[in-house]
Amino acid sequence: MPGRQAHGRSLLPASGPKKPRKPSSRARATKALDAFAIAEQQVPSRKPKGVRTRDLDSDPAERSSNKRQHGGDDDDDDEDEDDEDAGPPVKKRARKGGDEDDFDGFSGGDDDGDEEEWHVGVEEGDEDSEIDSDEAFGESDEEKFEGYAFGGKPKKKKSQNDDEEEDDEDLESLGSDAIDLATALDQYEEDESEDEEEGSGSEEESSQESSESEDDDDHPSKLDALQDMIAGFAGDDSDEEEPTGPKQKSKISLKDLGLAGVKDPHIKKSLKLMNKEEKATKPGSSKKLDVPLAKRQQDRLLRAAAYEKTTETLDRWIDTVKQNRRADHLFFPLAQNAHNAGLDNGELMPLTKKNTGTELEQTILTIMEESGLGPSAKPAKETTEGETAAEEKLSMAEQIELARQRRKERELHSREAARAKRIKKIKSKAYRRIHRKEALRDAEAIREAGDLDSDEEREAADRRRALERVGTKHRESKWAKLGKKAGRAVWDDDFRAGLTEMAQRKEELRRRVEGRAKDSDDEDDDDDDMSDASDDAEQGFGKRRLLEELERAAAYEDEKPTSGIMAMKFMQNAEAERKKENDELVASIRRQLDSDEEDDSEDVDVGRKKFGMGLTPAANPFLSGKGKKTSGEAAEPPASKAKAISTSVSAAAERDASPPAPSAGAGGWSRVGQEGRKKKVPKGAVDELDLSNAGMLATKKAAKPKAAASGQTAEAEAQDSDDEAAVHLPIAIRDQKLIEMAFAGEDVMGDFEREKAEMEKEDDDKEVDNSLPGWGGWVGEGISSREKRRQMGRNITKIEGIKKKDRQDFKLKGVIISERRIKKNDKYLASQLPHPYESHQQYERSLRLPIGPEWSTKETFQGATKPRVIVKQGIIAPMSKPMV
Amino acid sequence: METAEKVETAISRVDAALPRVEQPNRALAIKGARTEFRSKAEIEQARRLKQAQKAYGRGRGIDVKSVKDKKLRRNLGNLENKYKTAALKAKEAEILLENTSGFIEPETELERTYRVRQDDVEKDVGIDVAQKKFELKLENLGPYVCEYTRNGRDLLLAGRKGHVATMDWRDGKLGCELQLGETIRDARWLHNNQYFAVAQKKYVYIYDANGVELHCLKKHVEVSHMEFLPYHFLLATLGINGHLKYQDTSTGQLVAELPTKLGTPVSLTQNPFNAVLHVGHQNGTVSLWSPNVGEPLVKLLAHRGPVRSLAVDREGRYMVSAGQDNKMAVWDIRMFKEVNNYFTRSPASSVAISDTGLTAVGWGTRTTVWKGLFSKDRAVQEKVQSPYMTWGGDGKAIERVRWCPFEDILGIGHTEGFSSIIIPGAGEANFDALEVNPLETKKQRQEGEVKALLNKLQPEMIALDPNFIGKLDLRSDEQKRADRDLDKPAVDIAEEIRNRARGKNGVLKKYLRKQARKNIIDEKRLKVEEMLKQQQERREEKHKEKQAELGPTLSRFARKD
Repeated sequence: MPGRQAHGRSLLPASGPKKPRKPSSRARATKALDAFAIAEQQVPSRKPKGVRTRDLDSDPAERSSNKRQHGGDDDDDDEDEDDEDAGPPVKKRARKGGDEDDFDGFSGGDDDGDEEEWHVGVEEGDEDSEIDSDEAFGESDEEKFEGYAFGGKPKKKKSQNDDEEEDDEDLESLGSDAIDLATALDQYEEDESEDEEEGSGSEEESSQESSESEDDDDHPSKLDALQDMIAGFAGDDSDEEEPTGPKQKSKISLKDLGLAGVKDPHIKKSLKLMNKEEKATKPGSSKKLDVPLAKRQQDRLLRAAAYEKTTETLDRWIDTVKQNRRADHLFFPLAQNAHNAGLDNGELMPLTKKNTGTELEQTILTIMEESGLGPSAKPAKETTEGETAAEEKLSMAEQIELARQRRKERELHSREAARAKRIKKIKSKAYRRIHRKEALRDAEAIREAGDLDSDEEREAADRRRALERVGTKHRESKWAKLGKKAGRAVWDDDFRAGLTEMAQRKEELRRRVEGRAKDSDDEDDDDDDMSDASDDAEQGFGKRRLLEELERAAAYEDEKPTSGIMAMKFMQNAEAERKKENDELVASIRRQLDSDEEDDSEDVDVGRKKFGMGLTPAANPFLSGKGKKTSGEAAEPPASKAKAISTSVSAAAERDASPPAPSAGAGGWSRVGQEGRKKKVPKGAVDELDLSNAGMLATKKAAKPKAAASGQTAEAEAQDSDDEAAVHLPIAIRDQKLIEMAFAGEDVMGDFEREKAEMEKEDDDKEVDNSLPGWGGWVGEGISSREKRRQMGRNITKIEGIKKKDRQDFKLKGVIISERRIKKNDKYLASQLPHPYESHQQYERSLRLPIGPEWSTKETFQGATKPRVIVKQGIIAPMSKPMV
Repeated sequence: METAEKVETAISRVDAALPRVEQPNRALAIKGARTEFRSKAEIEQARRLKQAQKAYGRGRGIDVKSVKDKKLRRNLGNLENKYKTAALKAKEAEILLENTSGFIEPETELERTYRVRQDDVEKDVGIDVAQKKFELKLENLGPYVCEYTRNGRDLLLAGRKGHVATMDWRDGKLGCELQLGETIRDARWLHNNQYFAVAQKKYVYIYDANGVELHCLKKHVEVSHMEFLPYHFLLATLGINGHLKYQDTSTGQLVAELPTKLGTPVSLTQNPFNAVLHVGHQNGTVSLWSPNVGEPLVKLLAHRGPVRSLAVDREGRYMVSAGQDNKMAVWDIRMFKEVNNYFTRSPASSVAISDTGLTAVGWGTRTTVWKGLFSKDRAVQEKVQSPYMTWGGDGKAIERVRWCPFEDILGIGHTEGFSSIIIPGAGEANFDALEVNPLETKKQRQEGEVKALLNKLQPEMIALDPNFIGKLDLRSDEQKRADRDLDKPAVDIAEEIRNRARGKNGVLKKYLRKQARKNIIDEKRLKVEEMLKQQQERREEKHKEKQAELGPTLSRFARKD
């Protein structure tokens, strides 16, 4: 800090043995200078803001310790001074009385010393005067301002000194603390501007001198100026117009005072310092030192600044504290104190321009770049020179075009192949589906024919038989024997399965030996029927889909490539050939499909053909088993069918969602079903149907819309049980009537309503007559009934109850809900709204999720029960820096 | 007919396609189309959150923004987030529910699930399931009532004529068998398979697993119906005289004794959601009771004749009642509204609702199982047209039907013994071992018992809305004051303190020492101090007397106690 460091030096002359005491003119001047220096050092009053804050950066303790560094002499001197000047300030304080505490409380000894030194300089004449400070000011202001007037003196001196020296000085003074860059720049500018001004400065001086003398005479105005200045100190530093007077004065040089040849090295030194100070100030600010503030004000400022500083320091913690307060869980020891804190566990990434954070990395990167090892150098190396050259020749658009062409070629090359593959897939699918039946039919035919035709086939059959024999686990085999011995059949499922298999095989073989093929026809037939039935439903779709696919495959054409390999003749030929093959395949499949379709339509698939042509032939209700199943589909309106195709929703789903079928069709086949069923269904089921039917009857009136909405199932159901219902319907009604008759005697409903009304009345508001007979009126014989009546209604209290319309069961018929408060439950109610909550909804919401493990997942449970502060073993060091 | 087991997926409305409305010009206008732009991931996330909230949410959240206090706002916001994540987590944890339940579903309209006979089912199911279908022929000892334990392991059978048997029905192991030789009206398991209560001719008796009589509850006279509330350890009995009594089976206290005042009751069941008892009466009303009030909480007129049987679904939303008037009614017992009304061919004797919502109705000699009588997912309940499955019809009058928990099994007690039949899709497929464990070991059972006792709920916690606990008492101060019992004798502080001590010495001192830390000086404390002072004085006096007795020389040996 410049002020402080200068302090030691400047004090030396001030504390010299020949300290000027007498108020001679010259001595006064020097004294004033001296005082100025001291004052300036101690109260760096008119420094730019940046500097001041810097000044405040270090705490008083540090400052004092800095002071102590100057050595014993200085200290002694200081003390001397203190001794000398102890008078006035003490008296001042005494005068101030109550404020004393503040001073003592705030300023340390050294500060005191500083303060007093300053006063020496200013009020050197009237040390012991008992006058009020204001008065004192009035008397001695001239002297004072004389002293300040010399603030501008060192102009000449400064001109004598060269810049380098000054710089040195600056460096010297700034050695310990740094000036921020802005201030430094400001200083630099100021230097220049001052240099320019210098020439004109001397010319102006004379006029200024005169004006200054005038100013001097003008006491009140000066006082004002001073006060303004003080005000400026207290609050706004910005109004720089105020100290115009002092500024002019600052131009007075030593020469003007006839002190051109100052010999005293101390004074010289101090003058030099003064010069420097002048330069250090901003261009706008006054060159002249201002009147120092009263100690109280200074302290206040200091305190304010100190407070600002402390808050700033503490504010850095606010986020951390907030975060920790809000955190659900805190973990100690802190992560920042962990032994591996700050170490990056992440992977090492290659150095690129983007992620170079530190200076070192950047330097390394630049070095690598220079030596051609950098990241940018790599791709350049990879590309071969010829290519780059070629590519460079092509324009951007051309390059893109080229790339597109290449891609297309690549695609086309495999295109026909892909198409072939696709067709094959379709074909195989179609084959599988369509030719299975054919194969089965053939097989059947063969079986029917009885014998196998050729020797080859016979041989194959024999071979198969032999293989079967080999595979058989023979009864005499080792496996069987061992198993039997161990009794494995009892516990080993596999073995048991093996045994049954063996038995089956044996039986089969036996039959073969007898010459009769394995007779599985019946089962197979059944299976076929089942699968056919299920297949048929989806076959229509399947075929259509196949056809569509084929269509797409056939239409899979594109413009011929014109460039590259594909443009060559032989390639095109090959391609054409392949295409031809594919087309043929497609055609053949289509043919097969078509033929199959015809077949199908002939014997079974009525529904499909119908909608395909847009015709609606009357659904034949008496169809074979297959036809019956599809007829449900057929009965659907064609519109919905078409929709089904377009959206390709599965037939089953569509059927569910479709509107009810025309009852004629449904009725037609449902009758058939019934006839069939009647034989099978045991007698018990009849009752069941009736039960459901009766259910319908019960709500015939009430649930009419519902029944309508319930859809086809209900309809079908109704038809289903038509005849049965016809038998039982009267009985059901009779039953109902009987029941009504049976319970006719009791007026259950009426009783209930009466009870409810009673309850309502009981709970309702009540008026209680509390009037006492004889109270406020006569009672006994001879009192007219009018009088009695008058007395009766005098004191009526109304007991609030629950009004009829407020009851929970107000709108419910046949329900009485008790409105009584359950006192025993009160035990578990919260009597008051707990503190932070604003409404009971909030509070109740906060209790809504149970904590226990039964009601939530383990994770949630553990999260909810985890302690807020978790302390692990180890040294728990305090937070060293803000975490956020 | 094929039985197609299909995974039942509750398709929520969230997934449903947007409704399209065809305009006159054949254009399809989409109703409620989303106009704001959201990415697929976002939409998916929102959908999942919605689903989770629907299934596991805890009601509507509060408007956090309206909270004035900053800290509270933040805390409540955090809370809401926690609830949200909890719901999401719960939804995600559904992946752990590895078992799915499925129903028999008809492939075509012509198929009817109720045509499926038990033989068909037996053929199609695995052998382990098929084994669970069995029949016990117990012909002479009258209609049997049956009960399963909460985990479905054990079966309790009680014949009207005095035959009681317990068994591990899966293994076919008999637990105990008693011939009591007197009328048995009802039998119940208590909290586990170690105890059961039997309502006999005069009193209720409690037996242990070995059939040893442990207690005779002489206060429960001529009990016709019993229910056990497992979380409250309350055995509720309903006598022929219409008295409803609650007995705490853990402490042995008779908690409440309530006269129903409606004659001989006909049926009793409990609401598993709030432990309220539903009593069916002769005049067709159903009354809801808790042990805390002397009058029914709710009374509803369900039938024209006596209410023969009652059942409540496990979530406590719907009640099914069957009456003598050949009707079966489905009630929404949160709103107390009748949802639907069905006919029965003859008055139903027993109704039971399974975990998946299948309703078994035993009437005459038959049992009918209904599916979808109610569903919490539907806004309006459909009227079911045909039953799901049926059984019986061969001359066995049904006494009681009960679903076996966690199994697709329906137990039917009838005049000729007991039948266990398979009803696909009846049982809850996934069990929560923290709640009830069907596979529990002996050790787990014992631990579970202790835990259940520790978590026992007090009878005062029973109310129609069980979530009332911890809520704010919304009575006004005036009301509270009015409700205060002014005739209550003042609390004697000295007595209270003495009672706290339960016979220990130095009670007052200890109390004072504890109170001193609190630094609250109130009436109580002053009183205590005074008492202490008196005590000390008395002691001092005694001591002096003793000293005087011993004389000046020996006085130092006088003991101060």
